[in-house]
Amino acid sequence: MLQYVNVTIDGAPVRAEKGTSVLDTAIHFGICIPHLCHIPGIHDMGACRLCIVEHVKNGRSKVTASCTLMVEEGMVIRTNTEKILKMRKNIAELLVAQAPNSKAIQDIAVRCGVKEVRYPFRNEDCVLCGRCVRICKERAQAHALGFIGRGKDRHVDHPPGRLMDYCKNCNGCIMFCPMSVTPCGGPMKKGEERLCGQCDSQLNADAQKMPGVCVWCELGKGFQCTRYLAV
Amino acid sequence: MAKINLDSILEGRRSQPHMLVEVLLDLQDQEGYLPEEALKTVSKELGVPLIDVYRVAHFYKAFSLKPRGKNLITICTGTACHVRGSDLLVNQVRGQLGIEPGETTADGQITVECVNCVGACALGPIVIHNDAYCKNMTPGKLRRKLDKAAGRKKEAKDA
Amino acid sequence: MPRVSHAKDLEIIRSQADGRKSRTRLELVIPNGTCCQASGSAALIDAVRAELARQGLQQDVSVRVTGCLGFCEQEPMILVEPGNILYCQVSAKDAAEIVSRTVKKGEVIDTFLFLDPVSGKRIEKEADIPFYKAQSRQLIHMNRFVDPFSIEDYIATGGYQAIAKALKEFKPSAVIAEVKASGLRGRGGAGFPTGRKWEEAHEAPGDEKYVICNADEGDPGAYMDRCVLEANPHAVLEGMMIGAYAVGASKGYIYVRREYPLAVKHCRIAIQQAREYGLLGENILGSNFSFDVEVARGGGAFVCGESTALMTSIEGKVGEPRAKDVHTVREGLWGRPTVLNNVETWANVPSIVLNGAKWFASRGTERSKGTKILALTGRVKNTGLVEIAMGTPIRTIVYDIGGGPKNGNRIKAVQTGGPSGGCLPERLFDLPVDFDALWDAGSMMGSGGMVVMDDKTCMVDVARYFLKFLLDESCGKCVPCRVGIDRMLEIVTDIAEGRGRPEQLDLLQELAETVAEASLCGLGKSAPNPVLSTLRYFMEEYKAHVLEKRCPAAVCKALVTYSIDAEKCTGCGVCLKACPHDSITGEKKKPHVIDAALCQRCGICIGECKFDAITVL
Repeated sequence: MLQYVNVTIDGAPVRAEKGTSVLDTAIHFGICIPHLCHIPGIHDMGACRLCIVEHVKNGRSKVTASCTLMVEEGMVIRTNTEKILKMRKNIAELLVAQAPNSKAIQDIAVRCGVKEVRYPFRNEDCVLCGRCVRICKERAQAHALGFIGRGKDRHVDHPPGRLMDYCKNCNGCIMFCPMSVTPCGGPMKKGEERLCGQCDSQLNADAQKMPGVCVWCELGKGFQCTRYLAV
Repeated sequence: MAKINLDSILEGRRSQPHMLVEVLLDLQDQEGYLPEEALKTVSKELGVPLIDVYRVAHFYKAFSLKPRGKNLITICTGTACHVRGSDLLVNQVRGQLGIEPGETTADGQITVECVNCVGACALGPIVIHNDAYCKNMTPGKLRRKLDKAAGRKKEAKDA
Repeated sequence: MPRVSHAKDLEIIRSQADGRKSRTRLELVIPNGTCCQASGSAALIDAVRAELARQGLQQDVSVRVTGCLGFCEQEPMILVEPGNILYCQVSAKDAAEIVSRTVKKGEVIDTFLFLDPVSGKRIEKEADIPFYKAQSRQLIHMNRFVDPFSIEDYIATGGYQAIAKALKEFKPSAVIAEVKASGLRGRGGAGFPTGRKWEEAHEAPGDEKYVICNADEGDPGAYMDRCVLEANPHAVLEGMMIGAYAVGASKGYIYVRREYPLAVKHCRIAIQQAREYGLLGENILGSNFSFDVEVARGGGAFVCGESTALMTSIEGKVGEPRAKDVHTVREGLWGRPTVLNNVETWANVPSIVLNGAKWFASRGTERSKGTKILALTGRVKNTGLVEIAMGTPIRTIVYDIGGGPKNGNRIKAVQTGGPSGGCLPERLFDLPVDFDALWDAGSMMGSGGMVVMDDKTCMVDVARYFLKFLLDESCGKCVPCRVGIDRMLEIVTDIAEGRGRPEQLDLLQELAETVAEASLCGLGKSAPNPVLSTLRYFMEEYKAHVLEKRCPAAVCKALVTYSIDAEKCTGCGVCLKACPHDSITGEKKKPHVIDAALCQRCGICIGECKFDAITVL
């Protein structure tokens, strides 16, 4: 039997299903919290830190990732305080400076209010979001992919030998990878990296003016945000 | 390649995935590195997916997936040693042997590693040669030690 | 081996040891920890023993081989008791003289005594040496009485009396109340109230609970835990037993980083002996309390000092931290309630139970009770392990204990708390060393590392050093830490190499604040501290690098030039031979010259030159 708890998100009281995360609950109720590494139905990692919120308890507020925070009775959550918006923008800026050649990453950056990128662009072809690794482990149960190495050396790889020895050909990794969604004009030319924000066409209002409201955007097409999936 | 005997390392630990780190530490001590065949055996015997064995092997600094040289030179780069000039020792290695920390010389004689503090801070800069701790190291002392380890006579430049 | 099945068995062992002691005329205490061995203590011990045997003196003269005594630079050393005579920097070849003159005839040999660098005088008694005088040595003091290979030594000093008392006189909740009342706060870095942690674990639902000792001590420049664990492992074991009894745990782990092989060895031996004596295992001291301990080795990862990463490491996985919205006292090792405490925290517990909370709380400040062991290193005269009462001002530690600056330079700052901590400038040296004062000033106590820096240290270089370290040690899971530290390092490197722009200073501050709040674990959250504290207190150095392209401490390679002072150069040619870049030329006995185009400013020539002829501008 389903159990419910009462939580308050951005001042709105909601009845949340016990055992769900704050992120899942918010999206379900149309409160958009930008995210990258979250996949509906798959164990959350809390790695990208885009979904951070302020958890207000005993008069103090703690910044924490909403995908790994389980709802509890009486919880008070703020998803778009000035502090959170600034941090989310900075994190998105870091991501787009790492991997400018992905529409999904660019969309997220625009959604989070990034206007200029203050770091030299790099051209990584993986942002280490972990979606492929977790899909491979939890859905296909193939254990063909994993994070190898530590810190800056961290990368996705397969055990020695051929990938085909382990892979079950489910194509989950390709489907869920944000890097496989390229911008409309194709990969950016070196030296001409910029954010035009034009791919996020369904968002016809300035993202900054409506933070936290789900507008059924094409944020990260191929991302399979739950609300978008539900259509 | 001769088959590696893993019986003593695996004894009492079979089908116990949580013993993975201890097993690999023992394997590293025994062989000086982690051979691929041995890792496959460990994966099977402990019941850990091979990808996870590799994750652990690559995550911790103790492990080397390539054979190490006869002489392991470990330079401590902790704060106290850094303030006393451990950078000079790393520069000495680069200049004298032409390898970066983490690499082995082509003749397999010397492997150089850096470690972030061995806890002998009052005696820094510290270099550990195999198991021996050498204190108050200078580039000059290191030069002589590396020459000896490589079995080289004094350079022609000294003539 | 006599089994200890009752508290009175401990008394018997203790009185036997007292009896042996009364038949001993003289005791030679020789420390033999990792540092000591690196200085040659093992050979000294062999030589002393051989000499005593040769002169037929081993009947009433005992040699006790102990762990570290703290004054590391003066090793190898011999402490002669009674008399408290300390011989410093002695070696195996001095053994014969020491035995013949001091042991046999009671003569004090002047040349082996400590030479005070400040007064220039020789000091006979250990207790009179300024290094020791300003300290409050509770824990380290015990090291001299205990051979880590001998459980009987530990019992002879009152060891295992605390657990006996706890089992006999206190319910678990009373033990927790005592620890709470003492005000003991975690010594690993966070300073969380230990009693409260135990209480939460005690109240957490579940039958299977664990206690863990965090001996991962990854802070570079900190080695207090290594010292305690090598020298007195039983004190830690006893502390863990008391904690396990208090929270309801029956299994414990000591997680030791693999870079401490001697500590691993000593712990294993101590556990083995405790088991043989019946002090670990079933029904300890005839009670219902059963407890056993195992050593788990780290694989070489600084991040495994973080509690959740440490626990996944024991579980055989990679040490990647997880979110701590549910604390480890409720869901820790294998999802069970777990108490994780630092080595020094555990080592303080037996004395709290034996002497009471009030005794412990009589030392220290309002909110930081007891003592703290610090690793005092860097540009001071006296370096080593120092134990002070909480609240001792930084100035006392640096000048009275440390003896002031080495090489006559001006002391500029201290760095406390390792890579998670910050740098405090000289003008703040009247601050007391305690948890809250350091935190409020923008640094932290951390595990206890204190590195002294003088005006030849570049604070931008210090920030760069710590960022490099943290980037190397980051697990890499979350974006703010992995990418944020990378980008902070990129900016600081630009500044250090003369490419800095003023707007980068603002960006650095903003990025540092984001990383501090948004990171998943403590490593990422505290990673910006070295940057934030140096920006706060040493902005003038950053500005010099950015606006004037100048490094005030003459450290940053890209901004300095090396040249040879022709007046001081004797033409000995040592630098020429040593230079790995062939940038020095010159004839024998004539002044040499450095080609600035080839010079990489590696600094090797400076280290080799005996005439101080190389200048850096």
